[in-house]
Amino acid sequence: MSNQTRTIPRPRRLCTAVCLALGLGVAGSATAQEPVRIGAIYIMSGSPSVYGQFAQQGMQLAVDEINEAGGILDRQVEFVLEDSQIKADAAIQAARKLVYSEQVHGLMGLDSSGVATGVVPVVPELKRPFIITHAATPDVTGKLCNRYTYRLSVNISQNTRAAAEIAAETGARRWTTIGPDYAFGHQSWEFFGDYLKELDPEVELMERTAFPRFGNEDFTPFINNVMDAEPEGVLVSLWGGDLVNFIRQANNLGFFEQDFEVLMTLGGATEVMSALGEDMPEGIWVGTRYWFAAHENATNDAFVSAYMERFGNPPSYNAQGAYAGIYAYKAAIEEAGSTDPEAITDALSGLTFQAPNGPLTFREGDHQAVVGPTWGQTAEVSDEYGVRMLDPMKTFDGDLVTPDVSETGCSL
Amino acid sequence: MTTRLLIAGLLALVLAALFLLPYGVSYFYIFVATEILIMGLFAASFNLVFGYTGMLSFGHAAFFGMGSYTTAMLLLHLQVPLVWTLLAAMLTSMLLAAVIGFFCVRLNEVYFAMLTLAFGMMVFSVAHQWRSVTNGSDGITGFPLTEFGLGLDLQLANPLVYYYVVLVVVVLAAALLYLVTRSPFGLILKAISENPERVAFCGLNERRFRLIAFIVAGLFAGLAGGLFAPFNRVASPDMIHWSHSAEAVLMTILGGSAYFLGPFFGAMVFVLLETWITSYTDHWMLVLGIILALMVMFFRRGILGTVLDRVLRR
Repeated sequence: MSNQTRTIPRPRRLCTAVCLALGLGVAGSATAQEPVRIGAIYIMSGSPSVYGQFAQQGMQLAVDEINEAGGILDRQVEFVLEDSQIKADAAIQAARKLVYSEQVHGLMGLDSSGVATGVVPVVPELKRPFIITHAATPDVTGKLCNRYTYRLSVNISQNTRAAAEIAAETGARRWTTIGPDYAFGHQSWEFFGDYLKELDPEVELMERTAFPRFGNEDFTPFINNVMDAEPEGVLVSLWGGDLVNFIRQANNLGFFEQDFEVLMTLGGATEVMSALGEDMPEGIWVGTRYWFAAHENATNDAFVSAYMERFGNPPSYNAQGAYAGIYAYKAAIEEAGSTDPEAITDALSGLTFQAPNGPLTFREGDHQAVVGPTWGQTAEVSDEYGVRMLDPMKTFDGDLVTPDVSETGCSL
Repeated sequence: MTTRLLIAGLLALVLAALFLLPYGVSYFYIFVATEILIMGLFAASFNLVFGYTGMLSFGHAAFFGMGSYTTAMLLLHLQVPLVWTLLAAMLTSMLLAAVIGFFCVRLNEVYFAMLTLAFGMMVFSVAHQWRSVTNGSDGITGFPLTEFGLGLDLQLANPLVYYYVVLVVVVLAAALLYLVTRSPFGLILKAISENPERVAFCGLNERRFRLIAFIVAGLFAGLAGGLFAPFNRVASPDMIHWSHSAEAVLMTILGGSAYFLGPFFGAMVFVLLETWITSYTDHWMLVLGIILALMVMFFRRGILGTVLDRVLRR
């Protein structure tokens, strides 16, 4: 090996260096400018970190696609990723680091409602646009909304509106819930209950509910508690590693053989479906912010096949959200014609851009994207994708499940 | 005498550097410096119990958390000027320390450590589970930062202004705490840590002195917590968790418990390492573990302690 290196004639090596420099000089017009920098905050540690990994893959794919096609405003794009640790204070510190130390032009991410409620009130001080791609509490585009905060993903009210319709169709009348003991679990139950009551005033929302701590490992007492209550329907809003552990333990206790309907608001996450494979029970209603096989358009086809080819598994909703987040910034920066954070923030309001789950629009009134979830019943495991497919499957129209701005409590 | 002058000179230099810091570093380091100052005060308050009185507490974060929640809830519900919330934070955490200390100072060594751990976890559970008051694991968020009070026109939401507020409060608190350690009361604590029986034989109520030390430490930890919530923008149960108590222990050991400024120095090393290492890897705790193991094996008196030992030829 070393022998070979030595035999390369000197002039050629010199040429390589010079020619490279010249070549760079010519192509430099596109790259000499500072790259567009997007700061992302996802959960990268602990048991839910698989969500962060999917998000990272989604962003990587989008950034590479955009750079290959010439970048944004002829500038390259790059992202800087920080770990939220699923803690609001850690995420706030991360956002400060990204803005003041990494000099990013815009922020995106957030995986938890609890984290989002802490971060969003601080965003106006950072003076950077923030596109939330996962956290679902309605408050951040409701009573906590502000000029800089946007969300492209399905929120709790959109998802539970759809869940209530599915629930009403099942005919079950006595409902209880099992969900994580923080903002997300409690709000999911509250919104679901309200919507279900609207559709069917006779329905009973049981007092007996189960809210295990987020990151809890033993769900047995909670599962037994719910089975003892003899409900007709159970809304499960657990997610991530919690949902995987819950389903495994619930399988052992015969939870899914009981005589009640089970709706999992985030059961259609491919993170969960891949982890479980055959252990994911069949015939259960699961919801998801995005299902890779639910959208027939060119963007989605290209996204799913590129993702499968590169990472070997179908994109999850978090991967899709992160991918779409980068493209939302591309559209906004091109619309603004600059990377000035204030200009990007203005451009995002009312912006429509193409995402794999269809064209999305950030409403001017509350900055929430008008988007609906996909719900379906778990069916056979697909050989191609390694997860249970959904059949029947229904994608809700964003216009039908998104509450009017006047009902959100947001005033901008 | 010359060494004393040298130390006074160095201290003046450090204070001048802290005052001029925002002009010399990138904006992000204002946040890092704010955190170092607050965590330094927290660790120093812990060291009054640990280094000076010889009691290893694993529940010190309870007082820090009490201060944080007091400040956050007063800001959220009543929009009280910050100076009053800080005083309230000191008061509530002092009361909590009085109650917990009343039971804990009856025990020694590992039993004391275990009991403080148990009380710490109790306080944590209350904060974690009393959803209607403490908002559970999400903590108190979204509280407004209004005025400082005392007729001062300070924009607290501006990180630079808040840094100076923290700098002034922490320097004053540290000076006060230093005077406590140098007072006859402080010397009695030192004596207790070296030989409690002898102190008792001298006719002093050793338990009472330990209780007062515990309460004073709780009060300063509460002040640190009260300063932290408006900086952090969250008062969360994590701040009360025993692992947060352990941070105070680690910072004190890193810096050196034998010198008053040891915990401050330890806080600086801890926060800077955390900031730098987390940029490269998510396994920062692993790196910290290796550093600590080496410290305990080779520099038992801490970084600052070892350096000062050399300089002062102790």
